[in-house]
Amino acid sequence: MGDWEPKSGRTLKRRRSSGGSTKEVAPKPIKAPAFRALVVDNGAYTIKVGFTTEEEPQVVPNCIMKAKSEKKRLFVGKQIEECRDCSGLYFLLPCEKGYITRWEVQKPVWDHVFSRSVCTIDENPVVITQPLFNFKSIQDCMDEVFFEEYEVSSLFRCTPTDLAYLNYAKHNKLTKSDACLVMDSGFSFTHIVPYVRGSKFLRGVRRVNVGGKLLTNHLKDIISYRQYNVMEETYVINQVKEDTGYVCADVKKELAEASKPFGSNSIVKNYVLPDFNVIRRGYIQETKPENPSEVEESYQVLRLNNERFVVPEILFHPSDIGMKSMGIAEAVVKSIMSTPKEHRQSLAKNIIMVGGNCKFPGFKERMYAELRSLLPDAWQLGLFQHADPITYPWKGGSALLRTHDFRNNLVSKQDYEELGSTLIQERFNNFMLDSRQLDQEDETGKHSTEFQYLSKLKSASIFGKQEVSAADSDIQIDSKAVETAALDKEDVGAEEAGQDAEGNKRGKSRNKALEETEVAADVEAESSEEDLTESPSLFPLGCASYL
Amino acid sequence: MTLPKTVPRGSNRIKENDKRRIIDETQRKRRQRKVMEMLESDNYHDDPHADLVMSKKAPKFEDSLEQRNVRTKKKERTVDYYQFKYRKNFHQLVDEDRAESEAKQRPSYMDIQAEESQIPPRHFCAVCGFLGQYSCLSCGTRYCSLRCMETHMDTRCLKWAA
Repeated sequence: MGDWEPKSGRTLKRRRSSGGSTKEVAPKPIKAPAFRALVVDNGAYTIKVGFTTEEEPQVVPNCIMKAKSEKKRLFVGKQIEECRDCSGLYFLLPCEKGYITRWEVQKPVWDHVFSRSVCTIDENPVVITQPLFNFKSIQDCMDEVFFEEYEVSSLFRCTPTDLAYLNYAKHNKLTKSDACLVMDSGFSFTHIVPYVRGSKFLRGVRRVNVGGKLLTNHLKDIISYRQYNVMEETYVINQVKEDTGYVCADVKKELAEASKPFGSNSIVKNYVLPDFNVIRRGYIQETKPENPSEVEESYQVLRLNNERFVVPEILFHPSDIGMKSMGIAEAVVKSIMSTPKEHRQSLAKNIIMVGGNCKFPGFKERMYAELRSLLPDAWQLGLFQHADPITYPWKGGSALLRTHDFRNNLVSKQDYEELGSTLIQERFNNFMLDSRQLDQEDETGKHSTEFQYLSKLKSASIFGKQEVSAADSDIQIDSKAVETAALDKEDVGAEEAGQDAEGNKRGKSRNKALEETEVAADVEAESSEEDLTESPSLFPLGCASYL
Repeated sequence: MTLPKTVPRGSNRIKENDKRRIIDETQRKRRQRKVMEMLESDNYHDDPHADLVMSKKAPKFEDSLEQRNVRTKKKERTVDYYQFKYRKNFHQLVDEDRAESEAKQRPSYMDIQAEESQIPPRHFCAVCGFLGQYSCLSCGTRYCSLRCMETHMDTRCLKWAA
């Protein structure tokens, strides 16, 4: 918010000097960015595409499908709407575990997406998403396709979680000091990414290898074992999952309810399967209590009972199917706890949930309950889920255009030709990433132990006097520590000189945060003063000789 | 009246269990891996168009033709070009990523994978989906009742034991 003040001051001045005619023109650059961009959220299952000026993106399946009934053609992306008989659809997916490996599939789908039937590329910049730590070879190919084949004027790549974070930060007017955690539960996996001081905190990133694809395949497997063989009907079973699945509050209670007989059981549902003649998409059959036996013979009905909630349960407990991994709620807590102490509460307050799996009814409530029980009681917990979690990251595209990092890091075709792939990829990958952060991590770890040790000594006042500040005590007690600390400070100072004003601010706030932790350590040490004399780390030979 | 001493007392089912083949830990792990692979697979069935012989004269994608004329014509590449140039399987990619992340001191793809849970696993009956407190002697699959056990023995138990 502070950033805007000098600017508005400047416009005011200009207004005064040039008179009333510019009054309408002046506020415009603040309201909307001068250019628009084509935002492509390239998910493993659907591509969300559209210009930032549009309200909603177009959602296009990111796959090529082959139908049994039509042997003459393939269905690329949206063309599946033209397909009459979607039974036994064969999928060609471009992604393997969320990363593009089959270019022979991805390229035609992109050709389809950027053709006139969906959304054409023009001279405006293109923003495309990629998963976190996208492999270099994939990025090389994306560069080549977009710059050389599609000939875009400028390109930008970031992760969908970046966009979700920016969108959330814009709507809630968050500043860089507010930490946020984004959980993106998609088709291939679930990523948990904490954002601290406006950049990704890489040590806290977690991935749970459970996504929508695994859930659909598992549902397919258990239905095939218990009722009909639907192993070939991925398309239909995915719809079954979307229509009937939900996340329950308590599995044991829900299972007890599900084990009741048909009449008194509120969970069991009959799902009418599509026949692609009359019924295009399946639906839940309305149960009529007066004559439950009246089921028309022409329909094929699938009876779903505990499958409805046991399948989404895998998100929270992957061990249910024998995966050696923690669930998403546990991973969120792990991720929060791996960040510096001062940010944890803020992270818990701002948890953003995006991705198709969030659409299960009851997902948010369950997530809240799980996190509430795992996090300290005194912390405030805030979960945010947009009404449409699938397109929420895409909508962050317009927020991205406002950041000045975007303009600085946008790569034009000329840049690509002059600098080459490796350099421009560095730009993309370092977006919203504090490159100094990784080195700092080790240092802060080292220092915090030193400071704790010192503060313990200090508060114990064995040496007869209280130290005023940590820096002073450094000099007197441990010359080695002072040397390293001073060196570090110089380093930080040198870096700050080279950085822009923003980086400067960041560095300062970091120092401040360090001081705060010291203070906290002081308080802790003071409260446990009596134990100090018994501490073997301070007095390896016993304290009798000192006293 | 006394029972003949030659026949020991006890359940017939338990006696028969000794004869059953029990698959060991490595085989169970292999089975589990197979299940996980199935859950990751895109399709269960084979390509329905695999037996088709495509005519070379048939037009492939009309939309791409109308698109191209806007751009300069020198950079027209077929799909095979990219597939050939960037052909790498997932394991290769992960290995490359590991090497790169070590050089740059950043976490790699493998590093960010969530660790094992602190919470003990729950067990669901593989047959009916309710809580299953017993496990199959042969393969370790969970079941909840005699009825489910019988179904399991008849269908999945040692079917895919390799």
